[in-house]
Amino acid sequence: MKKIHIIGIILIAVALGVIVSTISSSSTYAPFSTAMEHEGKTYHVVGKLNLEKDFIYNPEQNANIFGFFLVDNEGREMKVLYNDSKPQDFEKSEQIVVIGKVVGNEFHVGQGGLLMKCPSKYNGNEAQQNMISSGT
Amino acid sequence: MNIEYIGEALVFGKIGNLLIALAFAGALLAAISYYFGYKDPLESNSWKKIARYAYLVHSVSVISIFVVLYYLIFNHRFEYYYVWQHSSTTLPWQYIFASFWEGQEGSFLLWTFWHVILSFFIIKKGGTWEAPVMVTICLVQAFLMSMVLGVTIFDYKIGTNPFVLLREHPDMANLPFIHMADYLQKIDDGRGLNPLLQNYWMVIHPPVLFLGFASTLIPFAFAMAGLMTGKIREWTAVAIPWSFFGIMALGTGILMGAAWAYEALSFGGFWAWDPVENASLVPWITFVGAGHVMMINRKNGSSLISSFLLTTATFILILYSTFLTRSGILGETSVHAFTDLGMTGQLIIYMAFFVVQAGYLMFINRKAFPKSDKEDGLMSREFWMFIGMLVLVVSAMQITLSTSMPVFNKIFGTSVAPPEDVIGYYNSWQIPFAIIICILIGFGQFLKYKDTKQNEFWKKLSVSIIISIIISGFVAYYFQFDRVQYVLLLFAAIFAIVANADYGIRVLKGKMDHAGGSVAHIGIGLIFLGALISNAKSQVISKNLLNIDLGKEFPNNENIMLTKGDTLQMANYFITYKGKEKVGVNVYYEIEYLDADFKNGTLKHAFTLKPTVQLNPRMGNVSEPATKHFLSKDIYTHVTYADLEDFDKPAANDEFLEPKTHTVSAGDTISTSNSLVYFEGLTQSVDRNALGLSPEDIVVGASLRVVDINKKMHEAIPLFIIKEKVVFSKEVLIEELGLKISFLKINPDNGKIDLAISEKKDNKREFIIMKAIIFPQINILWSGCLLLIIGSSMAIRKRFRDLARQRKLN
Repeated sequence: MKKIHIIGIILIAVALGVIVSTISSSSTYAPFSTAMEHEGKTYHVVGKLNLEKDFIYNPEQNANIFGFFLVDNEGREMKVLYNDSKPQDFEKSEQIVVIGKVVGNEFHVGQGGLLMKCPSKYNGNEAQQNMISSGT
Repeated sequence: MNIEYIGEALVFGKIGNLLIALAFAGALLAAISYYFGYKDPLESNSWKKIARYAYLVHSVSVISIFVVLYYLIFNHRFEYYYVWQHSSTTLPWQYIFASFWEGQEGSFLLWTFWHVILSFFIIKKGGTWEAPVMVTICLVQAFLMSMVLGVTIFDYKIGTNPFVLLREHPDMANLPFIHMADYLQKIDDGRGLNPLLQNYWMVIHPPVLFLGFASTLIPFAFAMAGLMTGKIREWTAVAIPWSFFGIMALGTGILMGAAWAYEALSFGGFWAWDPVENASLVPWITFVGAGHVMMINRKNGSSLISSFLLTTATFILILYSTFLTRSGILGETSVHAFTDLGMTGQLIIYMAFFVVQAGYLMFINRKAFPKSDKEDGLMSREFWMFIGMLVLVVSAMQITLSTSMPVFNKIFGTSVAPPEDVIGYYNSWQIPFAIIICILIGFGQFLKYKDTKQNEFWKKLSVSIIISIIISGFVAYYFQFDRVQYVLLLFAAIFAIVANADYGIRVLKGKMDHAGGSVAHIGIGLIFLGALISNAKSQVISKNLLNIDLGKEFPNNENIMLTKGDTLQMANYFITYKGKEKVGVNVYYEIEYLDADFKNGTLKHAFTLKPTVQLNPRMGNVSEPATKHFLSKDIYTHVTYADLEDFDKPAANDEFLEPKTHTVSAGDTISTSNSLVYFEGLTQSVDRNALGLSPEDIVVGASLRVVDINKKMHEAIPLFIIKEKVVFSKEVLIEELGLKISFLKINPDNGKIDLAISEKKDNKREFIIMKAIIFPQINILWSGCLLLIIGSSMAIRKRFRDLARQRKLN
């Protein structure tokens, strides 16, 4: 057996590891109902903001907690707590992706786990805008 | 019904469209003629002549398209949709210049333009390579021009045309005013360049990046030419300098993007493993691999297949990255993906065409590839370069697979999302690869091609190893690195720097002509070192420790509220928010950093930063951080949230809000918007004389302690007075906090009292939420980038010279 074969085998093993880890560490897009069935497991939930309910943001007490109500694609609404400051222009976003997990009757989202889409910003290169608004 | 529209300059659009058609047809004709130029040796010269004329028509047309489109942009001819969409009359000239490539049509043109410039050198210097190389280049040009054709054939729209009229664009055609004869007068201005992109990086980053994109084509075209003409061993000699030119151009483009992100965007770093960033990093990694295996090939004739595969992969991955970023497929995973302009199908055909071309040519030439049974020795440079290439391939594969999740989702109908902590996920894979690469970079040059004497190698290398251990030990201690991965990368990066510096000094004896590789490798080492220290040891100094602790669930406390006039301590600084100022559409937040002089207990001005929020009702407000640069660190300051709603109302407001009444007993605490009011109890010790009270009158004080968010304590004693049977209260004003407190009544039954607290309107409003991060030693990173560019340029210069010398000898 040549050295190059041994190295080849090692590399194939690493490559397989890469593929397996890519699949195993990825999350899944799901509605709130699935996230509630698996409390504590991380999901990506896509939804729209319920603008009729007030945002929860009291920076005097804590500038790093921002709460809002999100309606997912199945129409279920849930209170979402985001562990960061309130993103600028949040209320203008058309669609929101939150990355987090269900805890009790809330959906907890860590820092950077919120992506916003504003249609006006999504024209061509203008989409870069989103980077700003999401604060990630 | 025909309307005579007023004020339109339609002739330019007609010229533009004619030029696009000419450029497209010229490229196709040139491709065909060049093909016969090398296939038909008898008629070769006449075919080549036709090809050159056709390509000249193509080149002149491409450049003329630029001239016409720029003429329209600079003259604000808003009857053209592209001009209206991307530029405006109020933009400064450099952004009008840059607005050309804001849209996809412009960026495809920019790409084509660079191909024209680069291929000029092939035609001039290519010799016998010209015809076969130009076949591939012309085909690529034809594909790129088809992206801006904008014609509809059998209901399928090919490309989007930059000369489409505003009134004919599908987004506008339904608006009634667009069908009035004088509609142009009704258009005040164009939409202009996205405010976020109004940054000097927008002027230079896209051209350099597209030059990088364009330069991947040249080695690929040489590889294809090698296969087409049967010169499968010779092409690498010519392709090497072009490859390193491309590595430098693409690398510079990517690094400029990183610098832009760091400077102007607010994610707090220079690299976020965003799909769009990955899409251009991956071809760069494979390009580096391709360049290095070609060097092996020149030395000993092996690694020919890898040279073909990597060169092809690089070119295809550039197309794939264009597909990823422009097809809209990244949608939910990228923060800056593009919308679908309906070109997905065209991009896939473009990509598939060249995959098939490369695959087919390699297949029919499969027997011509030299078989090598000889194995590279363990002590040879080429063996370890080959290993390095394999590591690069695995690294590129990991990034590509992870970034392509949305593509797999589309194909297989799955709904796999990216990992929760994207940056951590990529880092955990890429750091080990970086460690191996740095170590290979370090010792690689000390190995000779073919074979090296073991003891000589170790003797030479041991100096670098010892020095690196000492330095990295010191650095690890100084910055308190504790994670094994980080310590290893720290050592590997320092080893790469030290060993290459040593090689440059001791082996090359400072001969600059040969030192390009060493300089570039030192640059790579410095980039990893700077990235490691500045990232792993970045320190968020705006941590809000007064927050209510929310437990493990919500660990992030990086944002802090700063009310106007307040001073908070952050690390070694004291920071004051001095107020905001609106200049044009920008709101500047003045944040003063103060140095504490603990001996005298005074604060001294250090510097002022002005992070900005640009108000833009149409495209959304954009906030831009401000960074103070020091030699050894950067202090990054970003306003993450500020109330922009009532910005236009008068700023200074001395009015007080309606008082709120609180019934409290001794020991109770009331919270206001900016402080806590603690009621200690009643007090009789009041200076009656000062109040002009007689002994019969009653006076009681409420002893209050008011603690603000800086933990500063204020004492206040509002009084409750009964003078000649008239009840009144003497309120206390705490100017600093904008609080008025009055003592309204005592309830004799339970000893409770009523306090009325009234706050200044300003208390509610004037605050910002900010984040401040120290990035230590980030200048190591930037100086590494600079060395990488300088070193690559040196190597390119040497290789082009060698090539010219060889040509003379032949």
